[in-house]
Amino acid sequence: MTISVGDRVPSTTLHHMTSDGPAEISSDELFGGKTVALFALPGAFTPTCSAKHVPGYVAAADALKAKGVDTIVCLSVNDAFVMGAWGEDRGVGDKVMMAADGSAGFTRAVGLDLDLSERGFGVRSQRYSMLVRDGVVAALHVEAPGAFEVSDADTMLGDL
Amino acid sequence: MTIKVGDRIPSTTLEYMSADGPVKISSDELFAGKRVAAFAVPGAFTPTCSQEHLPGYVRRADDIKAKGVDLIVCLSVNDVFVMDAWGKDQNAGDKVMMVADGGADFARAVGIVVSYLGFGERSDRYSMVVEDGVVKTLHIEVEDAFEVSDADTMLGEL
Repeated sequence: MTISVGDRVPSTTLHHMTSDGPAEISSDELFGGKTVALFALPGAFTPTCSAKHVPGYVAAADALKAKGVDTIVCLSVNDAFVMGAWGEDRGVGDKVMMAADGSAGFTRAVGLDLDLSERGFGVRSQRYSMLVRDGVVAALHVEAPGAFEVSDADTMLGDL
Repeated sequence: MTIKVGDRIPSTTLEYMSADGPVKISSDELFAGKRVAAFAVPGAFTPTCSQEHLPGYVRRADDIKAKGVDLIVCLSVNDVFVMDAWGKDQNAGDKVMMVADGGADFARAVGIVVSYLGFGERSDRYSMVVEDGVVKTLHIEVEDAFEVSDADTMLGEL
């Protein structure tokens, strides 16, 4: 079942790249006591994401943080090495945390998985954005297949 | 069952990036009528691969081709966008063809699969020389090793 506004985000483990290599982070640690602007997409280095989604959040990072966001998270079903490399490629620096949901554990738990096996991608995440306050979903925008209209940084700014 | 020298390459679908976007290619077409030096890695952008494996083949590409290899192929269970980005990052250019085995179909069919925590099913690290679709040499690394699937070992066998 798909997560809804008012629900608590599920407890799963994610990974991210640090200067010491890949590190685990529990979703409880990531979301606990913080306001988190999360956006998720089907794949690192894919055209729409690379061209618009991530750069939009990088550009809006200061504005989002000025409105009380503690952490901006980009989530994708890729491994931590790919997410780390993509973050470097896009110059995200410390503005956006590139979180790897390598086995799609978080994605399945929020019910926003997308089976792209026929495309040779396996199970991936739908494109969406989610505002989470202390572990509870405060806003959620799931894109229709192929669309990129409601999960952008500007819409998220308007929700804050 | 793991593939061995003398076996024919299994028929699966792979994918690579062209100037016009992702293109699917059957393994039959990829390996038919050619002498192919193929190597596989557990993941794009991972440390050993990035720092040693792929760059070794890029560096040695001219030497390998001078010994009668038509095509050098890098395989990994990543999607075609990630493989393309990794190839650009490592300057694979037209020296090494970056081939995506996104669903791990090829890795499973040759029986060289590993499961990493948080990575899903991946290919183990190996190299092989394939002539007209038939495996001529095969070197599968043991666990985390990187000793026998490198470009220099392959060069020595050609």
